[in-house]
Amino acid sequence: MIASDVRQGLRSGMLLAIVVVFLFLIGATTTIADIFANALKQDRGVSLQAVLGLLALWAGSQAAKVSLDEKRPSWPRTLLRAGVAGLSSGLVIGLTLLLTLRLHEQGINLRTYLYQLSPASLDLWSLGRSPIAAALFHVLLPLVGCLVGAVLARGFRDAPWRGPASRRMSAVREAITRPLANAARTRWGRILLYAALGTLLLLLPLRLNNYWNFTLGTVGIYVLMGLGLNVVVGLAGLLDLGYVVFFAVGSYTIGLLTAPTPHNLMWDFWIVLPIAVLLAAIIGVLLGVPVLRLRGDYLAIVTLGFGEIIRVLLKAEALASFSNGPRGIPSIAQPTLVGLPFGSDRDFMYMIILSVMLVIFLTNRLQNSRVGRAWIAIREDETVARAMGINTLTSKLLAFGIGAAFAGLGGVLFASRSQFTGPDDFNLMVSINVLAVVIVGGMGSIPGVIAGAFVLKGLPEVLRELDAYRILSFGALLVAMMVLRPEGLIPSTRRRLEMQEARAAESPPATPVAPVGRGGAA
Amino acid sequence: MPESALPARTRKRITPYQIAQVVIGLGFLAFVAWRLYEVLVVERTYGPDTWLKFAISGLIIGSVYALITIGYTLVYAILRMINFAHSEVFMVGAFAGFFVFEALKSLPVGTGEHAFIEVYPIPSIILGFVAGIATSMVTGVALERIAYRPLRGAPRLVPLISAVGASIFLQNAAQLMFGPQRRTFVNLPALDRNLGWTLTVGEKPVLITYTGVFTFILAIVLLISLYLIVQRTRLGRAMRAVSENKQTAALMGIDVDGVISRTFAISGVLAGAAGVMWGIHYGQIHAYVGFIPGIKAFTAAVLGGIGNIPGAMLGSMTLGLIESLGPGGLGMDFQLKDVIAFSILVLVLIFRPSGILGEVLSEEKL
Amino acid sequence: MSGLLNIRQLTKHFGGLLAVDRLDLVIPEKSIVSVIGPNGAGKTTLFNCITGFYDIDSGEMEFAGELLNGLTPDAVVRLGIARTYQNIRSFPNMSAVENVLVGMHSHLHTGALSAALHLPGAVREESEALGKALSLLEYVGLKGKADTLARNMPYGEQRRLEIARALASQPRLILLDEPTAGMNPRETSETTSLVKRLRDDLGITVLLIEHDMRVVMGISERVTVLDYGVKISEGTPQEVQHDRRVVEAYLGRGAAAGLESPATA
Repeated sequence: MIASDVRQGLRSGMLLAIVVVFLFLIGATTTIADIFANALKQDRGVSLQAVLGLLALWAGSQAAKVSLDEKRPSWPRTLLRAGVAGLSSGLVIGLTLLLTLRLHEQGINLRTYLYQLSPASLDLWSLGRSPIAAALFHVLLPLVGCLVGAVLARGFRDAPWRGPASRRMSAVREAITRPLANAARTRWGRILLYAALGTLLLLLPLRLNNYWNFTLGTVGIYVLMGLGLNVVVGLAGLLDLGYVVFFAVGSYTIGLLTAPTPHNLMWDFWIVLPIAVLLAAIIGVLLGVPVLRLRGDYLAIVTLGFGEIIRVLLKAEALASFSNGPRGIPSIAQPTLVGLPFGSDRDFMYMIILSVMLVIFLTNRLQNSRVGRAWIAIREDETVARAMGINTLTSKLLAFGIGAAFAGLGGVLFASRSQFTGPDDFNLMVSINVLAVVIVGGMGSIPGVIAGAFVLKGLPEVLRELDAYRILSFGALLVAMMVLRPEGLIPSTRRRLEMQEARAAESPPATPVAPVGRGGAA
Repeated sequence: MPESALPARTRKRITPYQIAQVVIGLGFLAFVAWRLYEVLVVERTYGPDTWLKFAISGLIIGSVYALITIGYTLVYAILRMINFAHSEVFMVGAFAGFFVFEALKSLPVGTGEHAFIEVYPIPSIILGFVAGIATSMVTGVALERIAYRPLRGAPRLVPLISAVGASIFLQNAAQLMFGPQRRTFVNLPALDRNLGWTLTVGEKPVLITYTGVFTFILAIVLLISLYLIVQRTRLGRAMRAVSENKQTAALMGIDVDGVISRTFAISGVLAGAAGVMWGIHYGQIHAYVGFIPGIKAFTAAVLGGIGNIPGAMLGSMTLGLIESLGPGGLGMDFQLKDVIAFSILVLVLIFRPSGILGEVLSEEKL
Repeated sequence: MSGLLNIRQLTKHFGGLLAVDRLDLVIPEKSIVSVIGPNGAGKTTLFNCITGFYDIDSGEMEFAGELLNGLTPDAVVRLGIARTYQNIRSFPNMSAVENVLVGMHSHLHTGALSAALHLPGAVREESEALGKALSLLEYVGLKGKADTLARNMPYGEQRRLEIARALASQPRLILLDEPTAGMNPRETSETTSLVKRLRDDLGITVLLIEHDMRVVMGISERVTVLDYGVKISEGTPQEVQHDRRVVEAYLGRGAAAGLESPATA
């Protein structure tokens, strides 16, 4: 009994210690403390302790947690668990701190090895006291935090307002979406909804300043690419880690054909736009032919390889006469509308909104059609999909081509908006960003992709201080989503029949189907 | 039915895929032949000494790849998944070795005139390797525990995405902790990376570095011991059983989770050793140092036949040689050596997805 | 005699293992034929050869005057052969009606462009297909389950869903791989009568692999027995039941000698 309590306490304690030491080493606690300090107008040291205290509360509640098949432990046992958790984590954290502070005291510049341990950040941790005192404080803080956390967790477990969080969430969601869904079921309701949405989107860019138009425009480009990759990964189940290739094709097509260097072709934006999209789609199909027969995980690596090849090729001095090498392409043309320049961030915002709406319209139609069903069938069980008469190779090529076209469109808008493109715009992280948008939002779900783009590309713009930790948290998010919620923020719901039946009733009745089996063969 | 009613008709199945195969294959061969002719016959760009240098560096990089490749192959054989974060297991080992060597360099011994690393050169090397190997091993096992084990039995895409996430996470965590700059490994007194034996080829000197020879020999020793573990020991038998069928292995009393953990531990050991070797021989590491060797090692695994240990060695050496001889042989920019390696990957997957030594995978059971 | 499906001298081996050895098989139109045999006798391999999943080594397969040799699985489906699987392989994350709609794939024509643009032809085709799919679900007894995800359906219903999905491709011949495996007696008899109706109402020829002898004896007109890829017996259920070689294949030589009326499990 006691042994199992100690074990559970140790487990929570070690988890807390690892989290705190890790945050210490990557400098995140200080950053978070800064944010708290700015938001709450508090001293940074106090903010840091508040953050650490909250973490300890959480660990304490973890230590007191009871599994389903276990009897609720008595108070002393709960406190034992929390005590063990607090003390063990406190010791680890305290010792780590003691060691680093002592080294710091001896005049060793820790930053040469551990980049985030600047003197300022160490002062924040040491509270301006001696290493021993600071270490002692950081032993006590988790101990107290864990004990309080356990008491709170135990005391509030049966409180009436503690329903399962997900149930409350879905109740909220229901309250919002139900009336909308009801409205969407009637024809006039739909028209009204679309009109409202359209007006909103039309007016929005006018109300925003350039910064927000630019930022939301970037989010929009990621929505665009996310929707494209969603066709490939979410619907057809093909993990493409080289999606950046098609983004690059779009950008470089507009760059090479409209910029003064290196070829001085100076074509018009509107002529190049369809060419670039088409070219991206064609290259998608061409790259797809040799690799789409491969099983999923091979495909991931090969596409990753493609992504690296394109960056190396664009960067190569050997090809600089064609692509301008590492210098990139400046002065890319921007569009004009009836002779007037149409290239401000606001103008691009309109173009992006329009493109996103077009792409949503197209993918929504596609995924509920024969073509989309074929993709999903391939994702679910490729062998059976073939046995159903689906030509899996052409279906996959189609998915690849469509996904590539959307990325190409994104690339054109991106390059033309900033009037520059270069090889460094096209590293692996672009592919990973888009993948994260799709996964976090919910594979195969259009609203999910939009939400994912806002969360992953929009939030970091708001929380500038956390920028350094953006990609780190993408990685953690990918793992966490797979382990905890593989279906994403807004999972795709399989189409319900109700709406279909309503539509079928409007159109002429379906042909009688009694002798289904034979079709015309009889 | 009378027999004459059935003339022997057969239909040849020519798919667009096969046409693509032939076109790509012929194009590739023609290109290679043309370039080789230009470089070897017409221009005679390099003398034999240069070719020897290329070949030696190919064997060295190949032996580093081999140690990483084994990690992919073992995990693939057992879990049928690509451990995408394996390149970060390698990177972590390199950093651990780096820190140990740095510490030993500034650790005074005796009267304080000399550092530990100068007084005890050989124990220093051993300490460095132990640290690198231990760190990589722990990282590998933790990775499996956190990012893969909860996903066992999920659709294939799920653990793969988790692995990609873990890889990104580790890369960035390392960059945040250790800083964005490149780190220069201590040049060990016992293994100076600038010294070596000198051969004379066609009146020109060719340097064979001690570190290179050391890397090569250590890799071979580790690989042979690994092969013996898998073929001869109880653990090896359990690994092979789990790789054949997890359910049956479990019924036979094999601790499947334990075997999988130990597989990740072994992969980590080899990757850690490779990481420290990389630092000693090439001298520079950074948070993204694992990325390119990782993807190359995967290429080598596919080239040799994924899941096959001798294949992994053969594939790694072949890839090492191709990428060091390739740019010279084809008369291309040396920046493009990664492009050559990736092209090899694509070509292998098109023409022989089962690799050089891999058995031809039978079609999925229906 | 020439049947709907004629197989002559079909041979398929995997490495050294001869899975199907010079098999001759004639399936007359509108018949129900069973293939039985011990595990590993090559029954499922036979299905995979017919449906184009395996390249055969030699022999000929002819269906309604067309040669099947070398066709890809999707081409075989278009000719009018559909199948179900021994282990349930419905598309788990698609609803029942979507599963059936996927089965109709080869008879629908909407391409990516017309679907994306929502052209009238595509809309009409889609709503007709939906009607057909719903009535097929009703036919196999899954009325009201259209919106249920396949993975949330009980075992027996998933089997019937697979049959509905196979019917959606408008087959003339349907290959059923152990349609009653793992079913309780009630489900088994429901499925048996469904198989009969496929032939009687819809005029579909049925080739089935089955282990349950009561099912085999109850519905098939002819039975073919395979053992190690070789056809060891053929005839009406009664004839096969009393064939000494069949008993030997199932129970071993010694056991057969001591048994008078075997195989009626």
